[in-house]
Amino acid sequence: MTAIPLEVRDLRTTLFTRRGEMKAVDGLSLSVGAGETVALVGESGCGKSLSALSIMRLLPDPPARIVGGEVKLNGQDIVPLDEEAMLDIRGKEIGMIFQDPMSALNPVVTIEKQIAEVVMAHSGLGRFQARARAHELLEQVGMPDAGRRLDAYPHQLSGGMCQRVVIAMAIACRPSVLIADEPTTALDVTVQAQVLALLKRLQAEAGMAMIFITHDLGVVAETADRVVVMYAGRKVEEAAVDDLFEEPLHPYTAGLIGATPVPGATRGDRLADIPGMVPALNALPGGCAFAPRCSRAMERCRREKPSLTVPVAGRLVACFAVAGEAA
Amino acid sequence: MERFAFLRRFTRNRGALIGALLILLVTVTALAAPLLFPTDPLRMVGPPELWPGEDPAFPLGTDSLGRDMLAMLVHGARATLLIGLFASAMATLIGVSVGAIAGYFGGWIDEAAMRAVELFQTIPNLIFVLTIVVILGSTLHNIVIAIGIVSWTPIARMTRAEFLALRDREFVQACRSMGMHAPGIIVREILPNALPPVIVLSSLVVASAILFESAVSFLGLGDPNVASWGRLVGDGRQLIRSSWYICAIPGIAIMVTVLCLNLIGDGLNDALNPKLRDR
Repeated sequence: MTAIPLEVRDLRTTLFTRRGEMKAVDGLSLSVGAGETVALVGESGCGKSLSALSIMRLLPDPPARIVGGEVKLNGQDIVPLDEEAMLDIRGKEIGMIFQDPMSALNPVVTIEKQIAEVVMAHSGLGRFQARARAHELLEQVGMPDAGRRLDAYPHQLSGGMCQRVVIAMAIACRPSVLIADEPTTALDVTVQAQVLALLKRLQAEAGMAMIFITHDLGVVAETADRVVVMYAGRKVEEAAVDDLFEEPLHPYTAGLIGATPVPGATRGDRLADIPGMVPALNALPGGCAFAPRCSRAMERCRREKPSLTVPVAGRLVACFAVAGEAA
Repeated sequence: MERFAFLRRFTRNRGALIGALLILLVTVTALAAPLLFPTDPLRMVGPPELWPGEDPAFPLGTDSLGRDMLAMLVHGARATLLIGLFASAMATLIGVSVGAIAGYFGGWIDEAAMRAVELFQTIPNLIFVLTIVVILGSTLHNIVIAIGIVSWTPIARMTRAEFLALRDREFVQACRSMGMHAPGIIVREILPNALPPVIVLSSLVVASAILFESAVSFLGLGDPNVASWGRLVGDGRQLIRSSWYICAIPGIAIMVTVLCLNLIGDGLNDALNPKLRDR
C-alpha cells in the first residue's frame, strides 16, 4: 500500500511572544489523499496560513514554533527533520502557491531564470536544459506565447499570468503535495475561474494531493472534495463538500455559509453575518472559542472545550449543541 | 530598452550629466597621463615657483622645486582616482557582505554584526585612517585598505536595512518554499533588489575616499612615491602665502572631482530609485 501523500496528526504550533504564548494551531489533524483536494476554510486570523507554513516548516522562528504533533509526507514525519533535509523536500515533494502572484515573484529576475532556479535546485539539470524545462512548464500552465514570456519580467505580465508562473514554479519538480494559499484572492473573477480550472487540470494529471486555503466558499464548492473548517487555531468541522453545503453542522460553518451572497436573493435582503470578531489568540475564552459569537451557545460551551465527535459517518464536528442533538 | 530608460532617467538630471562628463574627462586624462607627459612628473624641469601663465611651456606653472604642475596634476589624477575606486570597492565588498548576512539571518548574527559596525563608527574616521596607515606603513595598498576599513559601515547598514525589508517579502518566502539554499536566496534573489541604493552610496564613498586620501597625503603620511592631489596640496603648504596657486590648483581638482562624484550619486539615485522615477 502506498503511503498517504500528506497526513497531519495533532499539529500544534505556538507563537512565543512578549505577551505570552499563543496557540496559533491547536491540535490540527487532517489527511489528503492522492488526487484529493481538501479546502481549509475560516476567517482571517484563524490559523489557516500558519497551518500551511507549519506543514512546510517555513514558520518564522522566533516567534512561531511547532510544539507537537507530526506531519507525515509520503509516510515520513518531517517535523523532526533539520533545515538541511527540509531544503531537499520543499519544492520537490511539497510545493506552495502564494496569495499575491505579483509579490511572489522576484521583480528584478526574468521569468525563465526564476523557474530555472527551482528546476536546477532539485534536478541537477544544467542551465540550458533548465531553460527548456521552464519553457515546457510555461506551456503546461497555459501561458500564452510561452516562448516569448521566458525573458519577460514580472511587471510585464498580468496578475493571472504571474499566477501561472508561480504555479509553474510550484509544480516544477512534480511534488506530490501542493499547498495553495488563497491562490485566487488577488485575481479578477474571470481569471480566478481560469486559474482554478488550471489547478484542477494539473492536479488530475499528476495525481497531486492539494490543500486549498481560502475564505471564499464559492471557490470551495468549485474545487474541494473535502472541507476542513478552522476557528481560532482548531478544526471545528470536517465534511465532504456536498454534505457541508447541504447541511452545515457547526454554528460557525452555518454562519459562514449564511454570510455568502446567493444569486437571486431578494433585493434589500440583508446578508446574515456572524456578530463579533475572531478572538485574539492571547485572549481566547475558556471554553469553546466560538461561544461568545454563537447563537446556540449553552452554559457548558463557556466552561469546556468541545472535542471532535462523529455525528454522522464521514463527518466531524466540535460542538456541544450538535453533539447534544445527535445523542 | 530597459538600459536606455536608465540612461534617460540619469541624464534628465543635468547636474549628474555634467558630473559624469567631467569625471569622464578626468578619467581619460588620467589614463592618458603617460602619453601626455611621458617623463617622470616628479622631475625638476624648470625654474621654481613659476606662476601659471608666466611661461607657456608650463601652463599651470611650477612648484617650489621647479616641477611641472600640469604634469603632476595629470599623473596625480591616476593615483587619486585609483585610490578612490579601490577603497570604495573594498568598502562595498565588506559592507554588502556584512549587511547582507546580518539582515538575512537576523538574531544574534545581526546583533553581533551591528555592534561591530557601531564600534567602528564610534572611532573618528580620519584618526582611524591615520592610525592604520601609520601602523601598516605609508604605501598605496595600505592607504586603500585603511580607507576601505573605515568606510564600509554605512554600506553595511544600508544593505542590512534593505535585506530586512526584503527578506519577509513573499517572493523570498516563495523561494524558500521551493527549497532554495540561503546563499542562493541572498545572492540571486535579494541582492539584485537591494543593490540600487548601495550603488548610490558606493559612488559617494569614492568621493569621500578621495578626500580621506587627500587628508592623509596632506598630513605627509601618503605614499612618498605617488604624487596624488592631496600630496600636491600638502607640498605647497609652506608657500601658501607667496605662491598659493601650488595649493589651490590641486585643491580645485579635488573639489571638482568630489563634487562631480556627488552629482553622479544624485543622478544614480534618481535613475535607480523606483520611488523617484516618475518625478
